Amino acid sequence: MSRKMIIVTSILLATGIILSACGSAVTPQSQTGAGASTPLPAGSVQVTGAGATFPLPVYSQWTYAYQYVDPSVVINYNGVGSGAGKTAILNNTVDFAGSDSLLNADQYTQGVDLQMYPMLAGAVVPVYNIAFQAVPTPAAGAAAVSLPKLILDRQSLVDIYDGKVTKWNDPEIVSLNPGLANFLPGTAITTVHRSDGSGTTEIFTKALTSFSPDWTAGGAQSVQWPGNGLGGKGNAGVAAAVINTPNSIGYVELAYAISNSMTYAQMVNKAGKTITANGASVEAAMTEFANSFTPQLTATIVDGTSDGAWPITGYTYIILHTSTMIDCVKAQKILEFLKWAQTDAGAQTAATNLGYSVLPDVVRTNVLAKLAQVTCNGQPVLMP
Amino acid sequence: MSLFSELMDRNRVKRTRQRKTANAGMLTLTGLLTALALVPLFWIIGYVVIQGGKNINLDFFINLPRPLGISGGGVLSAIEGTLVVTLLAAVFAIPPGVLAAFYAARSPNTPLGVALRFSTDVLAGVPSIVVGLFAYTLLVVPMKHYSGLAGGAALAVLMLPTIIRTTEEMLKLVPASLREASLGLGAPEWKTSLRVLLPAASSGIITGFLLALARAVGETAPLLMTALGNERFDIKQIITSGVQSHLSVFQIIGHIINAPVDSLPLTLWKYAQQPYPERVAQAWTVALVLMLFVLIVNVSARVWIQSRTRRMKG
Repeated sequence: MSRKMIIVTSILLATGIILSACGSAVTPQSQTGAGASTPLPAGSVQVTGAGATFPLPVYSQWTYAYQYVDPSVVINYNGVGSGAGKTAILNNTVDFAGSDSLLNADQYTQGVDLQMYPMLAGAVVPVYNIAFQAVPTPAAGAAAVSLPKLILDRQSLVDIYDGKVTKWNDPEIVSLNPGLANFLPGTAITTVHRSDGSGTTEIFTKALTSFSPDWTAGGAQSVQWPGNGLGGKGNAGVAAAVINTPNSIGYVELAYAISNSMTYAQMVNKAGKTITANGASVEAAMTEFANSFTPQLTATIVDGTSDGAWPITGYTYIILHTSTMIDCVKAQKILEFLKWAQTDAGAQTAATNLGYSVLPDVVRTNVLAKLAQVTCNGQPVLMP
Repeated sequence: MSLFSELMDRNRVKRTRQRKTANAGMLTLTGLLTALALVPLFWIIGYVVIQGGKNINLDFFINLPRPLGISGGGVLSAIEGTLVVTLLAAVFAIPPGVLAAFYAARSPNTPLGVALRFSTDVLAGVPSIVVGLFAYTLLVVPMKHYSGLAGGAALAVLMLPTIIRTTEEMLKLVPASLREASLGLGAPEWKTSLRVLLPAASSGIITGFLLALARAVGETAPLLMTALGNERFDIKQIITSGVQSHLSVFQIIGHIINAPVDSLPLTLWKYAQQPYPERVAQAWTVALVLMLFVLIVNVSARVWIQSRTRRMKG
């Protein structure tokens, strides 16, 4: 190849790239008129989403499985945190966002036509790493002594994060845990919280606010934490901090506690019952609050009064623009995917297997009805 | 022999012995400290090779990432994304970088030349995260999507100082007599630059580019805000679907560079902070691939630049 050829080729390449960059990344429209009769080529619709890390494990399974349901669409979801996800959809830099933190009034105004759709629910659990003292060494050949799980009530969790209860053998904790009375150490408690803007923090602090008037820091995606504590980035960061810090306590989504084999506390709920976080106790909370959805289809479901309700529970949402999506093919593909995730038995099982709880039927019906209202160019996107 | 000279002699021997001991001592000390300074390098390389080499296999290079629990996942998306982003960075950075270097080498003492040199040094010190924010504000927000294009632009800014500085140094090494001869034979200045100076310095320019590339390819921070990440990025699929939809070559290139992309350091960063051992193991393998790539580029560039410099000076 002569030098001239190289120069000409590189100039052409550069021009091509600049030209291509100017063209928008809208997917081919040729099939819109013909309907679903001629399927789009595999991978011709690229969808980008970003947001909450809480549902990331199940979203990545869903998007992976969906390539076998509809090969024409490629869905790319990135776990960047609820706060970052909301910013991205407000700036229109993603096609959809994931968040377990709710949009506020300003954000609804700024986003014009934003709508949150609940996808799943989950439990936020207090995870702890206590260096128990005087634990008897098991006899040779016998299994290790297994201590009962720590039990906390609503007030004691607030007191720990408020800095009122500072030692693990504080009478407030010991009285709740007679089985652990001899083992709880007299060492200081280290609290761990999220350092980034997080929906998990929002669920947790909303619960604390409801638990006791003593909690004055409020309930939001990030709050002014009283006292000294450690910060961790993401659910994984909090889990790692608790694992690596003796005598610490933190809060993570149940799925992360399970996958890390961490011990998590039981809670005494508002009804006075001692509850373990699991599918049943999350469902109890969802059922109790099934009718408390706002017109925006959001609900805060912490601190339920029913016997079986886990007190720190929350929904995780997908956020979409309901009338200003430009690319109608893409809009259709996104909605079809969300509908599939809510109605396909395999997709729902995948979620429960990971430790999430699927929506109650009544909520799911509302979500599907809201999804059907999404329009593009004034036309409904989902065909009935 | 007098007693005096005998004493002097003995003294001299003693002092020589002292000097030799001190010399040996200091030599050992510096040798030990040099070895100590080299320990981190070989420790890192060794540790990454041991940890990353455990589960390196073909799947890792030819498959897209798969969700946890599904075996056989790889990092093809990150490898392809890294190629796209660095190629774009090269396209954006080389032409202005080389031209600026020509100016700086030709007129180092003009106000613009001084300003260029100064701002190049300043640019080299700008933290990469700031460059990422810059590209996010200027490209991602107005274009309304994260893209490999924005990532490439951010990396191009990071590559510019290295390219300008090395190219300038290489151009200065071209003997002035060559330039004078060309001008003396009646060649215009532009032709002299293009046909005499550029070929003479070409390998040095390529080396400078490789050094810049080795820096850019390991950057995570600017890509977080520009390329976002895309575990489903698959060039082959974009091309096939483009061909099936009867798109032009430019449109297909547009689809490739407008998509959010993964990159090796981005994937490493994401996987390493996950609690799942499977992902952490993959992070080590990504680290190995990335390290080998940077090492190969870096070492070959340095070997090349050294041989070239010796030949030109020689």
